[in-house]
Amino acid sequence: MITVLLEPERRQLHYPKLNTVLQLLHELKLGQTDVLVIRDKELLTQDRSLAPGDTITVRRVTSRG
Amino acid sequence: MKCRKCKAQAAVALPSHNTAFCPDCYLLFFRSQVERTLHKQRMAKAGSPILVALSGGKDSLALALQLHELGYAVHGLHVDLAIPDYSALAKQFCEKFCSTINVPLTIIELREEGLAIPLIKSRIKRPICSVCGKLKRYFFNKFAVENNFPVLATGHNLDDEVSRLFANTIRWDASYLSDQGPVLPAEAGFARKIKPLYRLSEFEIANFCFLKNLEHVTAACPYSPKASFPVYKSLWNKLEERMPGAKIQFYENFLRDGRPVFAAWAEQQTDLEPCPGCGYPTSSGLCGVCRIRKMVGAGVNGPGVSDLDSKQAG
Ligand code: SF4
Ligand SMILES: [Zn+2]
Ligand SMILES: [Zn+2]
Repeated sequence: MITVLLEPERRQLHYPKLNTVLQLLHELKLGQTDVLVIRDKELLTQDRSLAPGDTITVRRVTSRG
Repeated sequence: MKCRKCKAQAAVALPSHNTAFCPDCYLLFFRSQVERTLHKQRMAKAGSPILVALSGGKDSLALALQLHELGYAVHGLHVDLAIPDYSALAKQFCEKFCSTINVPLTIIELREEGLAIPLIKSRIKRPICSVCGKLKRYFFNKFAVENNFPVLATGHNLDDEVSRLFANTIRWDASYLSDQGPVLPAEAGFARKIKPLYRLSEFEIANFCFLKNLEHVTAACPYSPKASFPVYKSLWNKLEERMPGAKIQFYENFLRDGRPVFAAWAEQQTDLEPCPGCGYPTSSGLCGVCRIRKMVGAGVNGPGVSDLDSKQAG
């Protein structure tokens, strides 16, 4: 299971299986430059693989206000 | 993906530049982008004082940090809008940031001017964001001029600039199209204004903030609109995905080929004169801010009310 934390909404999602960051972005219907994808304080490019047990933060880059 | 420069594992991929960087090389890339823009657009002399408008958000803090690291004498200026659940936080981030890197910070309290945003919102029908933007520009400019800063810098990024240009183009707003750009020269009553991040996208700035551990306000202003800018931004992001480099091309080609035409037109329009209430340059009669003061009963000593807005964009 992969846990995904969406920011700034602070919403949590769970995926039984995802192979790469690119797949995750497709699932979330997000473009490559819409968000930062973070695992253990490290930024991930879209070709990086994900593994069961990963917790991934997906942080939107658009500023409001 | 590997870093283009050192072949280490990449952390940031930039489709519009068709490249990727590791954390260290990315920060060098970012720094050199800002340095090049400052230099190429002759924005400010090396080491000179720069007044930086700070909102507490990622763009303005990233700008201040990068200018500071490039050796400019940064002075922060924050306008406290007095918006509940938002302004106090934004101010705290500015204070913490400036004390961490040890640069001076001036805070202008709109409440003390009788112009707290919630008060204005309750008294004036116009969209609050246009009034709020006008007030911020007014006080940033006023402070820069009165304190003889050679230049006022704002954190506008490529996405801000492109969506604003797009909005102005959709309306064919000749007045705004005549003076939108990364450098606005000093004119009678107006400080010189620069946007050193205008070639960097929100994504690029967000990566910089993350890698620099830069804390900034993430809460949205409660009055933040569901307005046209976010729509344009997402349209442009879709376009950029299919045509990497489209944003920068649209903007730079405008600066080169479009703006001069509108600027020539604007030359023939009415001149600006000092506002009778406060001396701010305006196209006729009381300036926009003095009219707002009058409407909320904050008191000015000028005569009649005019319909024309002072047209400074920013
Ligand atoms: S969202 Fe509107 S009211 Fe809130 S800070 Fe921005 S411009 Fe001002
Ligand atoms: Zn590298
Ligand atoms: Zn005035």
